[in-house]
Amino acid sequence: MKDQKMAGWLSRHRSILISYGGLIFCIAFFTIVTPIRGESIWSASKVSTLISDMIVTALMSVGAVFIYALGNLDISIGKQIGLYAVIMVVLGNMTGSLIPPVLLCIVLSVLIAVVNGGAGPMFNIIPIIPSVVISQVLSGTITIIFAKMGTRSITLKTIDYRIFKSPVVMVVVLAAEVAIAVLLFNYTKIGKYAKALGQNKTAAVQSGINVIKYRIICYIFAGLCFVVAALFQMGYTGSASDSTGTGFEMNIMIALILGGMPISGGMRSKVSAAVVGALTFSLLDVGLPLIGIATRTTFIVKAIIFLIVVLMTSRKKEGTLPK
Amino acid sequence: MGQAVLEIKNMHKAFGPTIALKNVDITLRRGEIRGLVGENGSGKSTIMSIASGMQPATSGEMRYKGNVWKPSSMIEAQEAGISMILQEANTIPGVTVAQNIFAGHEKEFSKFGIINMRKMYAAADKLLQDFGISHIRAADMINKYNFEDRKLIEIVRCVNEKTEILVVDETTTALSLEGREILYKLIHRMAEKENKTVVFVSHDMDEILEHCSVLTVLRDGDIVGELSREEMDAPGAVQKIRYLMVGREIGEKYYREDYDSSHQDEVALELQNITIGPIHNFSLKLHKGQIIGFGGLSGCGMHEIGRAAYGIDKLDAGKVLRNGREIKNPQTAIESGIGYISKNRDLEALILEAPIQDNIVLPSLPTLQKKGIITPASEKKMSDQEIESFRIKCGSGKQLVNTLSGGNKQKVSFAKWEAKNSEVIIMDCPTRGVDIGVKQSMYALIEQMKKEGKAILMISEELSELIGMVDELIIMKDFQVTKEFVRSKDLKQTDIIEYMI
Repeated sequence: MKDQKMAGWLSRHRSILISYGGLIFCIAFFTIVTPIRGESIWSASKVSTLISDMIVTALMSVGAVFIYALGNLDISIGKQIGLYAVIMVVLGNMTGSLIPPVLLCIVLSVLIAVVNGGAGPMFNIIPIIPSVVISQVLSGTITIIFAKMGTRSITLKTIDYRIFKSPVVMVVVLAAEVAIAVLLFNYTKIGKYAKALGQNKTAAVQSGINVIKYRIICYIFAGLCFVVAALFQMGYTGSASDSTGTGFEMNIMIALILGGMPISGGMRSKVSAAVVGALTFSLLDVGLPLIGIATRTTFIVKAIIFLIVVLMTSRKKEGTLPK
Repeated sequence: MGQAVLEIKNMHKAFGPTIALKNVDITLRRGEIRGLVGENGSGKSTIMSIASGMQPATSGEMRYKGNVWKPSSMIEAQEAGISMILQEANTIPGVTVAQNIFAGHEKEFSKFGIINMRKMYAAADKLLQDFGISHIRAADMINKYNFEDRKLIEIVRCVNEKTEILVVDETTTALSLEGREILYKLIHRMAEKENKTVVFVSHDMDEILEHCSVLTVLRDGDIVGELSREEMDAPGAVQKIRYLMVGREIGEKYYREDYDSSHQDEVALELQNITIGPIHNFSLKLHKGQIIGFGGLSGCGMHEIGRAAYGIDKLDAGKVLRNGREIKNPQTAIESGIGYISKNRDLEALILEAPIQDNIVLPSLPTLQKKGIITPASEKKMSDQEIESFRIKCGSGKQLVNTLSGGNKQKVSFAKWEAKNSEVIIMDCPTRGVDIGVKQSMYALIEQMKKEGKAILMISEELSELIGMVDELIIMKDFQVTKEFVRSKDLKQTDIIEYMI
């Protein structure tokens, strides 16, 4: 009887166990093994590397939870980060302050959110399509900006951006973003409606949920998180290049799945997946070279771990891919 | 008494700590239509799912045509002559009707690995004709057909000349009235002309009493009674069967007992000359304290009217009004105090993968929020109140809806609107797939709602409940109203059917 209860509990909490289990395993493994091989992963310098490695992915993923919960995938996130970073550097250099470029980025992020979130239901197309189009448009815009400047990389000149390199600031900003996200996701209509829409749109609509409105709100919140992430991406080096942000949407996907986010969104979506996943991802990033695995090989190791997690969590009948 | 074809002895089935069948003995004979009735979870479907190879028994013995019977799969059972038509939809989307019918038998039509489709279509069309199904074409894509028609196609696929025992598991709830007639004809032909065996698992007392030659009643995994045809025809049989099923006296009261069709003067919901698809210029005034029923075959347009009244489908012309406000979508409908219980409970009315609590509070979230924040305590309070008043059988509100039985699921979809305190409720097939015990409480609830001055649109394919519950009954056929009846003691099903078909 007790065994059966245990088995039932295990099967019900499988995805949580795997996600937290993966994180706990990584922490335990690297805590024990890294000191033997030389430098501990918990040394001051490694912890600060860990935080700066994780911060951008974590900030983006927290926002992306609102998109993934809807059962959607946003291909344009990387290019959004790229564009915001360029704007911050170029306009920052022109005005001598980061405030005007950040405001411009916020306006742009809202516009992009309206298209990405609204176009799907409005024109009855799968929502990934508008995000592909946006991604192309942003990519083209970035190319034109750099072509006009005749360079492939630009640097902040007059503005002091050291604050964005401080691990303490990173942790504080992440904590604040997570707190807001948790509040919106678990204690307001926004998150509850997002989960309902992701799980069963028809039932959600029949319960009075305005699909377009709440999709756009979710995308707007995600977009604001991307602006914050772009600030730290740009601020770490004080520069932006024509390849900044490329492929970030895939990092988000990996982080969220490692964190136990159901790939098809819906009721089991949770904000913690973003933080847990981003941390696990960065632990592997920082930890694997410390135990002597060549940086070149870490990608393969991460890919294998990712594959295992996907096979264990997403192999369900209803586990369809996000659209 | 016919020759025994399947003997089941001491069949025991446990799912973990839950016991589904307790050492059941049953013998099926040739030429009989055996009814199996019982409430949800009584084990009636489990017996036949074991006999037809869907799952193994925990212990016990079966003998089929004299030999030990231990099917390892449904295919093996079907080859040997035991076919089961399942409750759930089971067709393959994206291919033709014929491909569905002959799935797994393509070899019969192929030469050198190439399937002669024309031959397959011809064979399938002939088969459909034999079953008396004239409106389905074998060469059509299956997606063209609705849920009810697909069920018919499944029946055609399941039954062939090898079939000795046909198990019909709650299939009729998924069929339209025409579909049911086709199925009834088939089972009578099989049992009476071909001396085969039919097992009829159902909730619907009327249909069981009409078609079965012998009836077995189950409760909590046990056989609690067996009735012969004579006993079924005896007066008081319905009460006796209900008593056996529920295990307690559920009382005489089932439907409304009054014949007072009066209501308040205030109009609660008005449909003004609405046109939607093939429905033209339909008007209706629903008053406070009134129950208006819609009856007809499933394709008659009554379901569409329910959807239109709730703002789900866009109107081509006309208006739906509530207190002067035009209803344009479910959101405005809910804000004006309208609730809707979809016919398609599992896909539209409920989010199965969500907890009971989340389902109950979902339409009420706008009223639960204070300064934009919804506290878990307020959600729990609202949901626990409904769980208690509806007596939803569950561990807690955190339990997922997909773990509940059909009756309890339906209670959750009622609870959503009770929590929201909706004043107009549109219910489409409110008691589909629900036990008598739960049905009885639903009817009591609907009557209570009427007394409270709520307005109800009740769309149903069950004439008996319409006659039993509504003040005014509108019968539709081919998207047009063919007849209206007012509540009366003398109203009989036979008076109504002619306006439906």
